[in-house]
Amino acid sequence: MGDFSLIGKSMKRIDTPLKATGQAQFSSDLMLPRMLIGKVLRSPYAHAKILEIDISKAEKLPGVKAVITAKDTCADKWGVFRYTQDQQFLPTDKVRYVGEEVAAVAAVDEDTAIQALKLIKVEYEELPAVFDMKSALESGAPLIHQDHPGNINIHVNIDVGDVAKGFGESYYVREDTFTAPEDSYFQGEPYAVVAQYDHTGSLEIWMPNAGPHLKAKPLSNVLKIPLNKVRVRKIAIGGAFGGRSEISPADVICAFLARKSQRPVKLVYTREENSIATRQAHSMIATIKTGVNKEGRVISRDITCHMDGGAYSSTGPIAVSVPFLCMEQAYQMDNIRYNGYRVFTNKPIRGMFRTHGRAFACGVDLQLDMIGQELGINPLEMRLRNARKVGEFTPTKSYVASCGMTETILKAGEKASWNEKWGKLPPYHGIGIGCNSVQTGFPMGIRGGSQAFIKFNEEGGITVITGIVDNGQGNDNMIVQIAAEELGLGVCDVQLVNADTEVTPSDPGSYSMCETFIGGNAVRLAAQDAKNKLLKIASEALKASPDELTVKDRKIYIEKSPDKSISLSKVIRIALSRSESISGEGSYWPKVDSKREWVENPSGQLSETFSFGTVITEVKVDPETGKVDVLEVTAAQDVGYALNPKVIEGQFEGGIAMGGQGGMLSEYILWYNGRVLNPDQLDYMVPLAIDMPRINNIIVETIDPNGPYGAKEAGMSIAMSAAQAYCGAICNAIGVDIKEFPLTPDKILNAIEKKQKVKGDEGSE
Amino acid sequence: MKKITLTLKINDEKYEIITYPNRTLLEILRDDLLLTGTKESCGEGACGACTVLLDGLPVRSCLLLVTEAKDCEITTIEGLAKGEKLDPVQESFIEHHAIQCGFCSPGMILTARSLLNHNPAPTEEEIRFAISGNVCRCTGYAKIVEAIQALSNRGRE
Amino acid sequence: MRLPPFEVLEPATLKNALSMLEKHKGKVKIVAGGTEIVGLMKLGLSVPPYILSLRKIKNLQGIKESKGQIIIRSNTTLREIIESSLINDLFKGISQAANLVAAPPIQNRATIGGNIFQNSRCMYYNQSELFRNGLKPCYKAGGVMCRAVKGGNRCFSVYQSDMAPALISFNAKAKLEKSDSSRTILISDLFTGKGENPHSIGENELLTDIIIPIPKGQYSSAYEKLRIRKSLEYPLMSSAVFVSGNMNGEVIDARIVLGAAGSSPKIIDKASKVLKGKKPSNKDIEAASGAVLQFVEVADNLPVPASYRRKMAVIYTKRAIQKALKDLRKDR
Repeated sequence: MGDFSLIGKSMKRIDTPLKATGQAQFSSDLMLPRMLIGKVLRSPYAHAKILEIDISKAEKLPGVKAVITAKDTCADKWGVFRYTQDQQFLPTDKVRYVGEEVAAVAAVDEDTAIQALKLIKVEYEELPAVFDMKSALESGAPLIHQDHPGNINIHVNIDVGDVAKGFGESYYVREDTFTAPEDSYFQGEPYAVVAQYDHTGSLEIWMPNAGPHLKAKPLSNVLKIPLNKVRVRKIAIGGAFGGRSEISPADVICAFLARKSQRPVKLVYTREENSIATRQAHSMIATIKTGVNKEGRVISRDITCHMDGGAYSSTGPIAVSVPFLCMEQAYQMDNIRYNGYRVFTNKPIRGMFRTHGRAFACGVDLQLDMIGQELGINPLEMRLRNARKVGEFTPTKSYVASCGMTETILKAGEKASWNEKWGKLPPYHGIGIGCNSVQTGFPMGIRGGSQAFIKFNEEGGITVITGIVDNGQGNDNMIVQIAAEELGLGVCDVQLVNADTEVTPSDPGSYSMCETFIGGNAVRLAAQDAKNKLLKIASEALKASPDELTVKDRKIYIEKSPDKSISLSKVIRIALSRSESISGEGSYWPKVDSKREWVENPSGQLSETFSFGTVITEVKVDPETGKVDVLEVTAAQDVGYALNPKVIEGQFEGGIAMGGQGGMLSEYILWYNGRVLNPDQLDYMVPLAIDMPRINNIIVETIDPNGPYGAKEAGMSIAMSAAQAYCGAICNAIGVDIKEFPLTPDKILNAIEKKQKVKGDEGSE
Repeated sequence: MKKITLTLKINDEKYEIITYPNRTLLEILRDDLLLTGTKESCGEGACGACTVLLDGLPVRSCLLLVTEAKDCEITTIEGLAKGEKLDPVQESFIEHHAIQCGFCSPGMILTARSLLNHNPAPTEEEIRFAISGNVCRCTGYAKIVEAIQALSNRGRE
Repeated sequence: MRLPPFEVLEPATLKNALSMLEKHKGKVKIVAGGTEIVGLMKLGLSVPPYILSLRKIKNLQGIKESKGQIIIRSNTTLREIIESSLINDLFKGISQAANLVAAPPIQNRATIGGNIFQNSRCMYYNQSELFRNGLKPCYKAGGVMCRAVKGGNRCFSVYQSDMAPALISFNAKAKLEKSDSSRTILISDLFTGKGENPHSIGENELLTDIIIPIPKGQYSSAYEKLRIRKSLEYPLMSSAVFVSGNMNGEVIDARIVLGAAGSSPKIIDKASKVLKGKKPSNKDIEAASGAVLQFVEVADNLPVPASYRRKMAVIYTKRAIQKALKDLRKDR
């Protein structure tokens, strides 16, 4: 790669001084004059008809300034897709889960708002409810949505090659079923919205989001105001992890309260509301049948996966597809059938999650270990033999333009001393490996591309204007890093205006870590556009052709005789004196197949590029308690090119904590008839500093042909590979394949005891 | 419920407050004094986002009745930097990429500050234990531990 | 989460505190560190009209030695206990227990008195109003049903103090004062065994001192705690062990106390009997720890299954015994 000043360097992130000093403002930190406090009334029933809502007493309580119900939101429905519009922002006919929004108030303070909620009388008629997929699918089960017989929300069917023939040709075939309960996001920052709506009919709103433009459009639809009157503002965001992407009833409720009261309203979710009334990750039952040849190469695979989607569709079609797509990217497979069903139950709504399905990912990977055991091939070798290679197409016809899967397996294996350890560790010690792949974005329709603008001031400093949003992963810094690099500027010369729908152009949002690839490319193009204009003027001044010139350290000079230079500010001033302005514009559209559709046509280029990665975990299991001590984790990931290595390492480490340590050992939602028993931070066990193992990070660079400087997705698939590696290591340590996740100590201990009993029985024979 | 008057000493400044007794220190800091650097995440003492130093020790301000904080020296994240000069812990967190979304950072930084005040040479184990009451969802803690180790007289052992 | 309304009482002397307790009998909750009560009030599970703060009372904190016993005043923080070399030298198990309570920032505020008087917990009870809405109240909430045990005819909430089992293993006593009198009883006698109301203290009484007799001769102690993560959590099961013995490694006296194994700490005499009077072999240790099993009263009301907690009662007791015995053999 070229000689860069900032790119490829672990520069300090531009956003962190504000975060280190408490100056960074998050949505709940905002205070506006005359601001009211909003609160939401939620359903105490999992499934019930709403017969009547009486708000008259609440409205009369002194200090209450607005009360809203479905009457105010006109019973409007929301859905990510036209065919999934099934969730009313406030329901009219019935509630479908405990915690569903029913009404809301805005009052002068929180206590008054809470008191007002108690004065709202809702008459319900309870209906029979279903809390698990099995009961939801039974014939005669209560229907959650009348137009979805059998409570099947989405069915994704993918069928490539000839699966039956593939099994026929296989040397060894096995089928296993894997299950996992729901996960919570547990973003550090609870969901919070601040909205104000003035007499000119325009809305200004702040909330943690993964795409401000994706929030603005549904708000414009439901408020029935032009899109340009919806101003989603930039604000610091305390994590997303796949959540916070779609519109939330909280956004709509807060906007309506602000409109009705004509005062700013702040609505902050409690930790419990955050757990039950934003999104959860799907629980899952995945049955995987795999056939291989003698060498362990997968010939045929048939997967049936049921995902508990809760009460509404949300991002259903995407969520049902992504776990499969990640695996078809990661591993070669010719004959493949996938049937993914998203099932409605009377539980909270499920959405996209960084660790896309423990049961799915661990199922596919752990099964490779089991097959390998049967064939005498070790897990690392099994993965090498099936690894995706550059230049191939996935079964659903995505071209893989860059791929370091094999390299990540080899490098992780070497660093973790796989060959020295596999099969040679002491009793109850284990080592496991997991591989996965994530798409760098996916088709987003008319919002799939990103645009950026750059303008100069008379001193040669710039303002970059882009829709890219930063949820905490460092996107703000990425923008500045790219713009400054391209224009030969210092970090302090760059001002950033982003993630504000009034000012910034369209952008797909921060999904699948696609902002670097899509938004980053747009910023780079904008900078190059501006640079070309600068060089043109400079070439006249320096009497050289533009392609002989270089921009660096706020100067433009002739590359071969660097003493001949002109300062950037001089060039700008020349332009201004000629009544010309210098600005840059860039736009990038990922080359995806626009005809590809999640349910109707799951074939064609899904994403322009894909990341690939491997995690190896070494553990020690206490055979008396089933408790796991994680000794070391090694993560190797093909990130294309590391724009900022330390930022990337942070993504790896966070992914291991969420997907591996938490996802495999301690995180799970517990239930009581549709109620979440652990919505809190005490019993939903997010890993602590003292729990985390030593981590080795290996950045693998394949220089993607289309990524900015070769960069692509960086941290998401690590979360999944980590879950798989943890799972493999524990099963290796105890010599039992557990197929129910997470691997809590009680399950591990039961497995050990069962195995000892079998051994004992065999011994006595 | 009658209102009460109390004086709090926060970041070396005295604040006269008239409020109801059923308020936590966190609510007073954020809602009344607009010291919003202190964050609320769980509200029940299980995450550490609301950490402030009370007489130099990290405590949960969400579990502290405001009346209990009378006569104490309270330090919030706003009180750590001296004018333009950041505290070395803040510098180290920035330098070592120990901050991602930043929501846990104020509490984490204050906890680290207190640890280093009481134990200038903590081991990695001591650091991990000291911050074990502060939940971070983004970083996996590796870089946070590095940032604190860099200030330990022991260095990275 | 908002706190319900209340008035704060801030007596400057113990005498005043006791008369306030008398005056507002049954309507006062005491705030020591506040780490538990504030959370319960936020959930609406405790709605006292008065909060009595111990903050201003002088001399209600501190650790001192007097006449062959150690007196810990009730408002002493766990951090002070952890940092006390006196406690660590004399009562290892107590020191270990304090160090394992929640996480350091909680230890900085939480007091020994508060820890002993912490309420019993249950995943079905310690929930918000939103969770409770639309459900009938359980025994602990004043109703007549149990959500944790189908058809359960009592409350199965779990007393999850770390300090109480460790203190009981040393036969520690509690001094309870009221305006006109005081009494000193064994800490083990503070408990009712009932989940809905685990403590038997009078509404006008205040715990002022924890008195721990310094055992004679050679002795040691240990505390082992089960939790999923390595910090922050309440015990899912715990075991406190005290042993005294002679130079030959023979056990003269032993006390084994389980925590989080029911609605009160459980002294398992049957287990200690196995150890007494002999130099315990591995088999003896297995037998002693196995003996706790029949006394464990657990339900599926914490984040791990009851069956697992039952097994862990045995394992953690075994480990605490081993640790204490190993320490006993060390020369002092």
